[in-house]
Amino acid sequence: MASSRPTEGTHFIAHKGTFRLFGLTLGDCIKFFFGGNAVVSVVVLALITIFLFREGAGFFGENRENLEVYRQAGLEYVDYIRTQQDDHTALTRYLSDLRVRQVNYLTQQKKLSLAAANAALAGFDTFADQYGDAVEPIRTLVSDLTEQATAIKEKFTVTEDRKTQRAQLLAAGQTEAAAKIETVPIDFVAELKPILGTLPAYREAAAEFSRRLNAVIATAPAMPEPALQARLERFKELNAEYLAGFPSVLRNLESWDFRAPVPASRAFTSFLFGHEWRTASFWQDWYGVIPLLVGSIMVSVVALVLAVPLGVGAAVYVNQIASPFEQRLIKPSIEFISAIPSVVLGFFGIAVLGQLLRALSQVPGLAWVPGFPYAERLNILTAGCLLAFIAVPTIFTLAEDALNNVPRAFTEASFALGATRLQTVVKIIVPASLSGIISAVLLGLGRVIGETMVVLLCAGNRIAIPDFTAGLAVITQPVHTMTGIIAQEMGEVVQGSIHYRALFMVGLVLFFLSLGINYVAQGIVRRYRISIG
Amino acid sequence: MVTSAPSLMETRPSASVRHPTVAAPATGAAVAPAGATLVDIDQLDFFYGALQALHGVTLGIENRKVTAFIGPSGCGKSTLLRCLNRMNDLIDGARVAKGMIKIRGIDIHRPDVDVIELRKRVGMVFQKSNPFPKSIHENITYGLKLQGQTNKARLDEVVETSLRGAALWDEVKDRLHTSGLGLSGGQQQRLCIARALAVEPEVILMDEPCSALDPVATAKIEELIQELRTRFTIVIVTHNMQQAARVSDKTAFFYLGKLIEYADTRTIFMNPAHAQTEAYVSGRFG
Ligand SMILES: Nc1ncnc2c1ncn2[C@@H]1O[C@H](COP(=O)(O)OP(=O)(O)OP(=O)(O)O)[C@@H](O)[C@H]1O
Ligand SMILES: [Mg+2]
Repeated sequence: MASSRPTEGTHFIAHKGTFRLFGLTLGDCIKFFFGGNAVVSVVVLALITIFLFREGAGFFGENRENLEVYRQAGLEYVDYIRTQQDDHTALTRYLSDLRVRQVNYLTQQKKLSLAAANAALAGFDTFADQYGDAVEPIRTLVSDLTEQATAIKEKFTVTEDRKTQRAQLLAAGQTEAAAKIETVPIDFVAELKPILGTLPAYREAAAEFSRRLNAVIATAPAMPEPALQARLERFKELNAEYLAGFPSVLRNLESWDFRAPVPASRAFTSFLFGHEWRTASFWQDWYGVIPLLVGSIMVSVVALVLAVPLGVGAAVYVNQIASPFEQRLIKPSIEFISAIPSVVLGFFGIAVLGQLLRALSQVPGLAWVPGFPYAERLNILTAGCLLAFIAVPTIFTLAEDALNNVPRAFTEASFALGATRLQTVVKIIVPASLSGIISAVLLGLGRVIGETMVVLLCAGNRIAIPDFTAGLAVITQPVHTMTGIIAQEMGEVVQGSIHYRALFMVGLVLFFLSLGINYVAQGIVRRYRISIG
Repeated sequence: MVTSAPSLMETRPSASVRHPTVAAPATGAAVAPAGATLVDIDQLDFFYGALQALHGVTLGIENRKVTAFIGPSGCGKSTLLRCLNRMNDLIDGARVAKGMIKIRGIDIHRPDVDVIELRKRVGMVFQKSNPFPKSIHENITYGLKLQGQTNKARLDEVVETSLRGAALWDEVKDRLHTSGLGLSGGQQQRLCIARALAVEPEVILMDEPCSALDPVATAKIEELIQELRTRFTIVIVTHNMQQAARVSDKTAFFYLGKLIEYADTRTIFMNPAHAQTEAYVSGRFG
């Protein structure tokens, strides 16, 4: 000891805290360690954002090309006529529905046997069949045109593939091999000639079609009941509207020009407002985010409707009413839920909850519930229930925090004025922490909308906008979600392809949605802090 | 002393039946003459868990007088005050071990006493002003609405009389529907007093109501107490000797959970019986 003690004063001062690593003192090391970590996380976040943008941005260019091919190869032209055909199909579906209603009426009200009812509807069936067959001239035309347009597109795709192949070879320095690959530029004018040449044929077919429709509609048999008759009249109206639309189809065809440029905004709007997400189709791929967005939102709304009362109610109970023993029991149990891996929850949803809910929906006594009974085990409701389960811990924990932050002075003042505990909770504590509770709900929403595994497994994965005309029953329909589609398709797409970039765009939409939700939630929290002050 | 029918029990007619006003306070107060003992504290022992905060306190608080509790920090003034409206019930482990508190002869710890009713009768103003994060109007009507009062004209009337009673009306009459938190500290404290007045208590407990206020606001509150003393029984805890001397009729001096001396304020300050009291009021310790 004594020997190690420095002998001179200066030495003593210099000796103190001289531990240095690469010329840094311990304090510096600690500072740089934490500072470094903070910088790394910011950098990683920035990189993720940049990467998302970079990969997604290419989408618009490619989508525009995609839409240009759609036009140049004549697919757009054919789709005008196809839409006409599809609208007719929708009308025939209306007739099928009408037939079902008539059968119901005849068997239930008139007590006819099924065979007798069918026999009574023979006249209607002839009418419906004739109505359905009237489209024949158009149908033939469409199927011819479809073949031709597909062929043009095919040619174009092959040429494009060759071009990329050659470019790759050139890049690799194999000039000879590259020279061997021929690329014949496609002469769209020539290719499209046969398609455009069908215009007179279309005119004739359309005229024939409308003549037949008019003839058939005149033979519509009378309905056995006023309500059904009203439906038939409605059908006649729809038919008249449909026929009135013929000239505009023709106008579209006549004025159609494959050289007309596709506006750049179309690449954007067809994504953001597109109603169809169809990939790897033989005809035309569409990348419209709406069905996925609607799916995500529907699932989240159902989840919140279930999770908010549960989470907030539990928070109020634990914070204000529960005994210390209950608190010790309930709080960790709810918080434990967030430790369950979501894939396990999804599995539970498929194996148990989906079955259970469907079985429940088929209980006769519950038929009054909108959408009950249903057959699809995996749907918005199943996924929503599971997501609610995921959102509850978030909402519970944050809402409980908000309740805790209500100053004790408010509670005491309320009690001192003769309020009961319940009155104090309802009139003082909940209102005072309302903004905190709202932000808890929003953060729960953020949690739910970003959840992937559960929706992928349990939402049913049907890419279509659910049918909102069903009212509340819409929640028993399957949907696909933004997170689900990314998880499902990202592994299979070719890197750099339009489909790949479209998925990135979906990711970006999700990113901004979550960002927006968080931003709003934080804004509310900030205001809330000030107001309690 | 028992001067009126048991009034704290649940069996009494509900509060919404009576319509007292600030000007003509609670029925009982009119019967009991000023100076009669209203609150009777008898041999009270009080514990926070294992910690004994009050030791055998015996004290009679007189009707329509201002009683001041003084004493060094931690001597149990707030504890005793909060016993009077049973606010200590909210604290885990807090309990009265021995003795009793009678208000108008009724033991307030009796099981059939309705604590909600008790707190309506014994209002409280806290050390730190604590208006609710609601409008001034809602702050004042809070207690009445709890009692089921919904008549808007009646509520407006109470808002005005209470605010006038708390000498705040002229300052806030144009902003009744703005937040109570937007007032100055002194105004907030007077708002809290008005809020307590609105439910027509007989007794108002004030725990250091001026400790967070500047001298001007303090003077206003003291003036207010002078006005209120004719209609209410007031118990005030204060660390300010001048304040105790100015506003109170009687003063109780506590030390380490014991009541050392209780007498007319004049006596306590001019001619205390105990050396400790003398030392404390003259500022030699505490
Ligand atoms: N909630 C509580 N839990 C446990 N002990 C408490 C609690 N409140 C007060 N005490 C204790 O009881 C004793 C009396 O406290 P009290 O608050 O009544 O003092 P006081 O006279 O009001 O002091 P001050 O003038 O500082 O307000 C103190 O020893 C205090 O530590
Ligand atoms: Mg105190």
